[in-house]
Amino acid sequence: MKIAVYRLLFLAALIGLWWLASTQVARNLVPSPLATLQAAQRLIAEGRLGTALFDSLSIYLGGYTVAIFLGVPLGLLMGTIRPLGKTLEIFVYALSATPRVAFIPLIIVFLGLGPQAKILIIFLGAVMPILINTYAGALNSDQDLVEMARSVGAKRQRIFTQIVLPGAVPFIIVGLRVGATIGLINTVVAELYTAVKGLGGLLAIYGNTFRMAEYFVVVLTLALVGVVVTEALRFVEIRLGRWRRSEVIV
Amino acid sequence: MIGDAPQHTGLADSEAPAPRILLRGVSKTFGNQNNGGGTLALANVDLTVRDGAFVSLLGPSGCGKTTILRMVNGLIAPDAGTITVSGQAPRPGPDMGFVFQSFRLIPWSSVRGNVEFALVETIPGKAERRARADRYIELVGLSRFADAYPSELSGGMKQRVALARALASEPAILLLDEPFASIDAQTRELMQIELMRLWTLRKSVALFVTHSVDEAILLSDQIVLMGPRPGRVLEVIDVGLNRPRWTYDVRAEPRFIELRSYLWDRIRTLVLTDPQSDFYGRDLSANI
Ligand SMILES: Nc1ncnc2c1ncn2[C@@H]1O[C@H](COP(=O)(O)OP(=O)(O)O)[C@@H](O)[C@H]1O
Ligand SMILES: [Mg+2]
Repeated sequence: MKIAVYRLLFLAALIGLWWLASTQVARNLVPSPLATLQAAQRLIAEGRLGTALFDSLSIYLGGYTVAIFLGVPLGLLMGTIRPLGKTLEIFVYALSATPRVAFIPLIIVFLGLGPQAKILIIFLGAVMPILINTYAGALNSDQDLVEMARSVGAKRQRIFTQIVLPGAVPFIIVGLRVGATIGLINTVVAELYTAVKGLGGLLAIYGNTFRMAEYFVVVLTLALVGVVVTEALRFVEIRLGRWRRSEVIV
Repeated sequence: MIGDAPQHTGLADSEAPAPRILLRGVSKTFGNQNNGGGTLALANVDLTVRDGAFVSLLGPSGCGKTTILRMVNGLIAPDAGTITVSGQAPRPGPDMGFVFQSFRLIPWSSVRGNVEFALVETIPGKAERRARADRYIELVGLSRFADAYPSELSGGMKQRVALARALASEPAILLLDEPFASIDAQTRELMQIELMRLWTLRKSVALFVTHSVDEAILLSDQIVLMGPRPGRVLEVIDVGLNRPRWTYDVRAEPRFIELRSYLWDRIRTLVLTDPQSDFYGRDLSANI
C-alpha cells in the first residue's frame, strides 16, 4: 500500500519535471502535459489511437504467442535431452547474439510488408529470451529432488512434470517477461520498417511532421502496454509462487 | 573386549535369518578417476544386513555412510564389488523408504503433497492415498501443518516430513540418513520410539546412519563402525540389549555404558588421527 503511494508521488514528480521541461525547451519540442492530454482525447475520439492499438496488439500478441509455444517446449526438450541441448545451444546463442534487425530486409524479400513479416520479426525477438531462460531452468533442476523422486520409484514422465517443470517455472517467467519487452520493441521496429501501420506507424507520421503532442501520446501508450503485459506476467508468477514465503522475485 | 563380542561375518550359521542386504567388496570413487583427482569414498566394503535387523552405520562424516545408502537404494552404482537387496540387484521403488540427510522436500508442494508424492506408485486411489498420508503426518506429529509449505516449517519439522514420506509407503527396507539430526531432543526421543515400534510391528529392515553413539546403541542390533579416507568398515558390534527398549531405561544398563565408552574412544581416536580432520593431532589431555 505504501509502495502505491510512493509510486504515485514519483509519477507526480515526473509529470512536474515534464511540465518544467515543456516550459523551458524551445520550439515546442516538448509538449506540455496538458497539450498531450488534449491530443490524447482527440486521437481517441477520432478512433485513430484505438485502430493503431488494435493493429499493434494483434501482431504483437501473434508473434509473442508463437514465441511462447515454440520457445518453452524447445527449451524444455533441450534441457532434458542433453545431447539435443548440447547440439543446439551454440546455434541458439549465435542467433541470439545477432541483431535481429539484420534479418528484416531478408524477411521483407520473402514475406513482403504485411502482417506475416511483422509477426516473424516480433517472434524472432521474443523467442530467444524465452528459449534461453527455459533451457537454463530445465538445466537447473534440483538434482537432489530428482534423486528423491527416483528413490520413490517415480517414472521419467512424473519426474518431468512434477519436479523439473515446476522447478523451471521461475526461469520461464523471467524469459516471458524479457521476451514480452523485446517483442514490444520489435513491434515498433516492424511497423517502422515494413508497412507503416499501428502505433509504430503513428510514431513515424507524427515524428516526421513534428506533431509532438500526438507523438507523446503514442509513446505513452506503448509504455502503458509494456506495463500491463509485465504486470500481468507478475500476477501469474505470484499465483504460481504461493509456496514461497516471501516474494523474492521482483 | 568389545571387539571380541560375537560378530556377524556374513558366514551364515544355519540359525540366522537370510541376508536382506549384502555388500561384497564394494568400492566407489567420486570425480575423475583418470587423472587421479577423484575421492575414494568407499574401499572394499563388506556388509551383511539380515532379515528383520536394525543396523546402524556409525562414524565421523566423510566415511561414506550416505554413499552406502544411495548404492543400496540403487540410486548410484558401485565401481567394484556387488550389492544385492533381497537377492537381486538394488532398484529404487516403494519397497525401500529413504530418509535423506538433506530432507529433499518439494518446495512447491504442501506437507501432505510431499508425503503423497511417495505413494503415487503404490496407491492409485486419491482418497486412499490422502488417508494414508494423513496417518503418517499424524504419526510424526504434524497434522496441524498438513497444508503448510516446507518454507513455513522449521528444520526439525522438515525432517519429520521426510520421515513420514519414507514411512508412508510402508517399505520392507528403511534407509535412514541421520533422520533425527535436526530434531530437538524431546521430539527426537519420541520419534526414536515410534521408529522402533514401527520397525517391530512391520518386521522391516532398517539401515540407519548416525554419528550419535547413544542413538546407535539405543536403536540397533548391530553397529557398523566406519572410518574415513577411504571410507571402510572397521568393526561390526552386536549390541545385545533386550527389546523392546522403550519399556526400560536402556541408558542405565551396564552393557550400554560399556559400549558407549568403547565407541566414544574409537571415534575420538579416529578423528584425532585423521589428517583431514579439523582436530587432527589435538591433545585432549593437555591442561587448558
Ligand atoms: N556426489 C559426490 N561427488 C563427489 N564427492 C562425493 C559425492 N558424494 C560423496 N562424496 C565424497 O565421498 C566421501 C563420502 O561421502 P558421504 O558418503 O557423504 O559420507 P558420510 O555420509 O559418511 O558423511 C566424502 O569424502 C565426500 O566428499
Ligand atoms: Mg552423510
